[in-house]
Parts: sequence; C-alpha cells; structure tokens
Amino acid sequence: MNGAHDLGGMHGFGAIEREPNEPVFHADWERRVFALALAMGATGEWTIDRGRFARENRPPAAYLTKTYYELWLAGLERLLAESKLVAPAETAAGKALEAGRPVKRVLAVADVARVLAAGTRYERPASAPARFRPGDSVRAKTMNPVGHTRLPRYVRGHVGVIEAVNGFQVFADASAAGEESAQWLYTVAFEGRELWGPDSDPRLAVSINAWESYLEPL
Amino acid sequence: MVLVENTPSIHNMVVCTLCSCYPWPVLGLPPVWYKSAPYRARAVSDPRGVLREFGVELPDTTQIRVWDSTAEVRYLVLPMRPAGTQGWTEEKLATLVTRDSMIGTGLPLLPTQAEP
Repeated sequence: MNGAHDLGGMHGFGAIEREPNEPVFHADWERRVFALALAMGATGEWTIDRGRFARENRPPAAYLTKTYYELWLAGLERLLAESKLVAPAETAAGKALEAGRPVKRVLAVADVARVLAAGTRYERPASAPARFRPGDSVRAKTMNPVGHTRLPRYVRGHVGVIEAVNGFQVFADASAAGEESAQWLYTVAFEGRELWGPDSDPRLAVSINAWESYLEPL
Repeated sequence: MVLVENTPSIHNMVVCTLCSCYPWPVLGLPPVWYKSAPYRARAVSDPRGVLREFGVELPDTTQIRVWDSTAEVRYLVLPMRPAGTQGWTEEKLATLVTRDSMIGTGLPLLPTQAEP
C-alpha cells in the first residue's frame, strides 16, 4: 500500500533527533509490548509480513503520530482480533470475556534466547531458474498494490542493475495476505540521479532487495 | 547477514525506509532515531546531509552506498581501520568500533579517543 510507512525520499520531517546514552526501552510498557509481540509472533498464528502490514495499514496521520511501540501495540491488537484470539471488547475490558482457544505453538521463557538467535529461515527450494543475473539492467515496475509490498515508491519505474541473487525466498506481498509462495530475491542498485534527478548527489547509489515479480527486463 | 566494507572510496550506510529492519543478532534493538521518519526519509535521498548531522564529513569524492533493508537480508557495515593502529590486537581494535560505525552513520573512534 502507498502508506505513510513508505518514507524514502520524503521531505519536511526535520532534523534527526539523537539521544545520548539511549536506553533500550523508554518505559516498561514498551518492553512489555515488544515481548508480547514477539511471543505472539512465535505462536505461528501470523507471518512477519502480516505483522508488518498490521502496523503500516492505517491512515497516514495515525501512522505518523504514533510512537514506534504504540504502532506495535496497535498492530498486535488488530492481529489478535483478526485471529479471533482477543476480541476488541476484551482488549477494551483488559480481560478475557470468553474462553480462549489454543495457539499453534507457545514460546517458553527458557527457549527465548535460543529461538531468537536461531532466527527464521525464509529460503525455500527453487521451483524455477532465476530470470536475472548480476549485471543485468532491470526496471522496478510501476505498481500500486493496496496490500502489503516491499517495493518502495521511490524506486518504482526506475532503472537499476542486479548486484546479487539472494536465493529463493518467501514472497512478502503474498505472505502478508496469508498465502505462502516464494520467488528469487535480488539486490538491485540504483544510481542517485536515476532516483532523484539531476540535483542528486552524483556519487550516491541506493540498493534494495527486490523479489523477481517487482522487476522487468530492459 | 551481508557485511559491506568501507574503503577510502566507498562509504556504506544502512537504513530500512519501510519499517525498522536492523541486524538484531549483532547490534541488538535499533535506537529511536534509526526507526524515526527523519532518518528513514532522508537516508536514501540525502545520506551526505544525514552524515553531516552525525558529525561525519566525507570527501566529495567518496561514493555513498545506501542499503535499504526491504527484505529479510540484513546489513552490517565493516568500518575502515583507523590510521595509527598497526600491530593492534583484535581486542584492542574492537574498542574503536562504535554501533553507529556499523550502521554507517558514524566512523570508528581514533586511537586517541579510545578508552585506556
């Protein structure tokens, strides 16, 4: 979706605010929301891509005025409601109003460090040869899907060069819609002037990761 | 995870314009500025200006390579070894490496700035 989360190239946000000796969390509720989101993600009730879409799919003003962990909480509440795990009335009441249902998996406290360190594998067996090779020129498609996508607006319609083939990986756009499929994933480099025009820094290149269906040959 | 190496002619910088992807296993959770709109908006269009805000002034001849983490590939910058560190052990060199130098918004400390 063309949402407020797709920030690359926007103007007007002002200076980058840094905080010396920044704590990992700025309040206990942030730590709790983060833990809840990770624990619920580990149940396998939804994918990381559906999780991202639940955070970004909201009116631009709402996205930009919530803090980072407020967005995580809002996304989690939506996913819990969509998955029929916690009804909105229960979230409002702050307690269960009906009997719950079991989840697919439960991440036990003792396993958190091991599971996080192991990470999640997104590579799948290839079902087709890669269409592009390093050095090939490609164009990022002009597209405006209403669902989740990882092709940022600032590269759409622009020409880049394949830098690397990163394997056959779970396709985020489909995964966010609840369907698992996989495609070749590439690293594509774009020159600054191609993206931003003649005023761009002449010595800038930006690389993204792009699934094969985001790209067309030149 | 992909390691991108800084050289005298290339400076690398990492961002996630769409959300907050970051090399958790190595750097932990990202600072607020990394997740903030100003950084995500400008890192891809004006990285030299962003670096200036971080107190890093690169020669005009240095190429800037920005890595936007749009999939599950994570990036980590390998900073350039500072001058005056010949013969240093790995342990001593590690004291010069800052978090920001591995995101690409900073440079490693100089030997004169290292903790004794």
